[in-house]
Amino acid sequence: MKTATIKNYDKKFREKHSDEADWLYEHRREAWDSYVKSPLPDRVTHLWRYSKPENFLLPEAEMSLSGPAAERPEEKRNRIPLPDHYTAISRYDGDMNIRTAVNPALESKGIILRDLREAVAKGIPEVKGALGGLIGYGFGKFEALNSALWNRGIFLYIPNNTVLEKPVYLNRYQWESVSVSRLLIIIGANSEATIIDANSGNPHSSKLANNGVIETFVGDCSHLRYVHVQDFPDNSASYFTQRNQVGRDATSYSVFASLGSGISKYDVGTILNGKGAESRLFGLAFGNGKQNFDMHTVHHHKFGDTYSNLDHKVVLKDKANSAYTGLIRIEKDAENCEAYQENRNLLLNKGPKAESIPELEILTDQVRCSHGATMGPIDPEMIFYLKSRGVEYEQAVRMIVYGFMEPTFKLMPETLRDTVRQAVSRKLEG
Amino acid sequence: MLNENTLLKFNNIHVEVEGKEVVKGISLEVKSGEKHAIMGPNGSGKSSLANALAGHPAYGITAGEAYLNGVNLLDMDATERARSGLFLAFQYPLAIPGVTVANFLRSAVKARFGEDSIEMRDFRKILKGKFELLQVDPSFATRYVNDGFSGGEKKRLEILQMAMLKPSMAILDETDSGLDIDALKIVSHGINSTLTGDNSILMVTHYQRILNYVNPDYVHVMMDGNIIRSGGPELAIQLEEEGYDWVKSETMEKVEA
Ligand SMILES: Nc1ncnc2c1ncn2[C@@H]1O[C@H](COP(=O)(O)OP(=O)(O)OP(=O)(O)O)[C@@H](O)[C@H]1O
Ligand SMILES: [Mg+2]
Repeated sequence: MKTATIKNYDKKFREKHSDEADWLYEHRREAWDSYVKSPLPDRVTHLWRYSKPENFLLPEAEMSLSGPAAERPEEKRNRIPLPDHYTAISRYDGDMNIRTAVNPALESKGIILRDLREAVAKGIPEVKGALGGLIGYGFGKFEALNSALWNRGIFLYIPNNTVLEKPVYLNRYQWESVSVSRLLIIIGANSEATIIDANSGNPHSSKLANNGVIETFVGDCSHLRYVHVQDFPDNSASYFTQRNQVGRDATSYSVFASLGSGISKYDVGTILNGKGAESRLFGLAFGNGKQNFDMHTVHHHKFGDTYSNLDHKVVLKDKANSAYTGLIRIEKDAENCEAYQENRNLLLNKGPKAESIPELEILTDQVRCSHGATMGPIDPEMIFYLKSRGVEYEQAVRMIVYGFMEPTFKLMPETLRDTVRQAVSRKLEG
Repeated sequence: MLNENTLLKFNNIHVEVEGKEVVKGISLEVKSGEKHAIMGPNGSGKSSLANALAGHPAYGITAGEAYLNGVNLLDMDATERARSGLFLAFQYPLAIPGVTVANFLRSAVKARFGEDSIEMRDFRKILKGKFELLQVDPSFATRYVNDGFSGGEKKRLEILQMAMLKPSMAILDETDSGLDIDALKIVSHGINSTLTGDNSILMVTHYQRILNYVNPDYVHVMMDGNIIRSGGPELAIQLEEEGYDWVKSETMEKVEA
């Protein structure tokens, strides 16, 4: 049976990927092999306690298609608006093409933003060395699936000594019912960039499934701000894995705002890969209805004198659930590190459940580390304070919830902040 | 039933918190333009009375009646009470993380006076004036409400809110506690400048000092959930000199007699 499946896909692969570079084809083949051979994760194993693996299996028929998309609706539902000014921009189209544009004034600087398949076809040397370097097919069954089948790929390259004033905007709008996406970002040394990665999808589709992998390399002394918004329709199942490797004296601010998807599982992490590296990771989740958020974060200190701060905030209402697990790993030789972790959960009624589990693997004594979690309803005293100033109950709740999220909102570019606020307000009222 | 210029009137108010009766039948009438002070030992129920009047759900009024401008207070929730002109300056103002002072005040002013009010249109200008009045640094506008504020800064912000919201009836719960000598003057000046002659205040305090700046017309002594004595400003001076035992023993005598 298994061999039959492999053969079946082998044939389809050949047809589908025959125009791709040999190394990539080979990589996909091995990844597929690994996917088929590895069992479905056991529910008792790490990271699968809070999600059913079955939910993230992609229908085989759809996988084999992974080509031309379903029909594109007339109206383009872009829930996330495009900013007026940008360094570069990309968007998916219903015909499976990825449209990209780099601001002409900046193209001469060597900034590349294009379809990852094209980048491979063009033989851009950085791609081969980096693709799969942080998340290969050995990472896990679903990452192997991604490595084998990704069909929506984006490659972003920012050379050394390049400071981008305006953000790079990735509008990843899923038209098709199944999407396997891959994002590869390479930032050279001494550079600075803001990347907005807006993920949403077609609400008219009966059910959406997606599997995404994001690999980011941040060079020495560079500064990355990466904002990821997940606002898929509620009938979606979303599986994302991200790793972000940060070099010496480089800083990385990442924001993951989870608003949509009925079921989602995120595994995101930053590897501090050089002395003086700093990472701040902000998570934000707002759940209503029966949404289930499963979020895992990693801060991996491979070098000494590195700093990490994780701040994951969750607001839940109705019967939404959240499970958060956060790993801090500090290697034996990584002395004088600081690592902080905080997960706060605001439960707006009695229906939702939240779990919070810190995981510390600290192999040296020379560290400063703390973690904390809170869970509970809005403090009724806060409501009273606002009401005693004439504010109505509903608005008091809104103000307190926005306030709870404000430190994370602050890190987002303004246009995006307003969009996320609107989404939150829509969910608060809905 | 109500005097023409009666602003706040309550009768035989009983308050329960956590199943315990902490206010045991208090009556008081505050006329328009009057300044009343309530003094009394720790735990005598002063804050409970203030919270109950402002509509705090944990402080249930189990018996009695209360009217503001002739309107039944007890029919209204905290929001409505505030909108009809009642204000409570908290003894322990709470932090609201993530909500800036400016946004907080904007929401409050909008709630009190309406979207199209003069107060909203001139919001920035008025706010600036009140910051100056209370000598609060303008940078506080973008700080989160009471978050990391010192005790004195919190109290200034309470009175700044009062000045913005122009209540007809303000209950000030130990606004003077935690203020240094200069701040006490500034805050008292802030309080006085909100007084138009029509609006009234009821201030809870432990110390005579603030009464020198905000001269009360009446002083009431509260003990164990009751007002056991009322008088003019001289009562505060006497209390400061002789302590509560003096009133207590006097009251005991009366009871025994
Ligand atoms: N939220 C509450 N939960 C439980 N008990 C309360 C609560 N609030 C007040 N009490 C109790 O009610 C009684 C009166 O308290 P209250 O705060 O009204 O006193 P107070 O006169 O304001 O005292 P102070 O001068 O110390 O501020 C006290 O015994 C207090 O412990
Ligand atoms: Mg008190």
